[in-house]
Amino acid sequence: MLRESSKAKGEAYDLSLLTGTKGDGNIPNGALLVAFAEAVLGDNDRRLQEIQAAIRDKMDDAAFVDAAAIVATFNAIDRVADATGIPIEDSKAASTADVRAALGINAFAEQRGEIADPRERAGVGRI
Amino acid sequence: MTAAAGAPSFICMTISYAQAPFAVRADIVAAHQQAWSRLAHPGTWLPGATRVAIAAEVRQTPQCALCLRRKQALSPYGVDGRHDSLGVLSERIVEQIHRIVSDPGRLTRAWFDGVVASGTPDTEYVEIVGVVATVVSIDTFCRALGLPAHALPAPVSGEPLRRRPGTARQRGEAWVPMIHPKDLEGELETPEERKLATYWGGVLANIRRALSLVPEEAYAWFQLVETQYLPGRWMRDFANEYRAITHAQIELIAGRVSVLNQCFY
Repeated sequence: MLRESSKAKGEAYDLSLLTGTKGDGNIPNGALLVAFAEAVLGDNDRRLQEIQAAIRDKMDDAAFVDAAAIVATFNAIDRVADATGIPIEDSKAASTADVRAALGINAFAEQRGEIADPRERAGVGRI
Repeated sequence: MTAAAGAPSFICMTISYAQAPFAVRADIVAAHQQAWSRLAHPGTWLPGATRVAIAAEVRQTPQCALCLRRKQALSPYGVDGRHDSLGVLSERIVEQIHRIVSDPGRLTRAWFDGVVASGTPDTEYVEIVGVVATVVSIDTFCRALGLPAHALPAPVSGEPLRRRPGTARQRGEAWVPMIHPKDLEGELETPEERKLATYWGGVLANIRRALSLVPEEAYAWFQLVETQYLPGRWMRDFANEYRAITHAQIELIAGRVSVLNQCFY
């Protein structure tokens, strides 16, 4: 979806932010929001408090609440996806194959003994 | 409080953000109140008391030494022991809750097959996943905002519905049987399937289908998701922004969280 957003807006977002590259990646407050996600899922409460204060200061309270809602949503969606074993859709597999390979995301499926690209099961083959 | 005959009331005031030093969107407050109320009520397969006990066990997971050892191990499957649980639920159900909470990225098909072989029906398992997801989501929201976790609701007595949708089938897609939208196009047997058919509107994303073996859980879960994230019709409307953060900022956070959780989907 980040890639779709990037294309739609005609802006070159740096997708490597997803895997921990530093910087904003051409997304306003990108580094701060990545740090927020990391702090919420981490266990350093002092660090989390610092990031919370920074978001409220540099963005605003409404952005703070909406960012929290996104972390909350995906921290749970990931568990639903992983616990039910749903595969990635064929169309999504096709459109994101290069990005997933470049960012090393396919390894997450492989460590579960799953096929990263469901099209391989049907003999279509990975791009 | 007991469940009245017929449709249960989902009015629940155990969740409030009135004490927060900032405003929380009213639709989020309402969605959390509804989710908390559903948590307390009998579900499709589990009584309210079991659903609340699952919620409590979700919160117990970070204190479990076995889960910590497994998390640190190269593979969680070579580390045996007993979970540090609250002692309310069976070890079988505690194992499911703790693993989904503590190490979801390394769940495997073999683990899931073991869950079913150990005596958990696939229907109950899906409902457990739905309850875990609801609690994880709302607790994460509170942590993200620096607010204390909400007190769990008192369970509401009553019987689970115990109705399996005839349209849910194992098609070799996911570990669990799911409903395919095409199967909701004809005459439908249950009101739960009819509700899902109206709601789905032809959307095929597997994450929306993941809990569809228990249609009420799938429907309620995505009511919460769409409120906190974006309704389907807004997700790809990149010409407009609907939240206080942009599509790009939303997807950046979502993607980073999923990478941290090692979630491939």
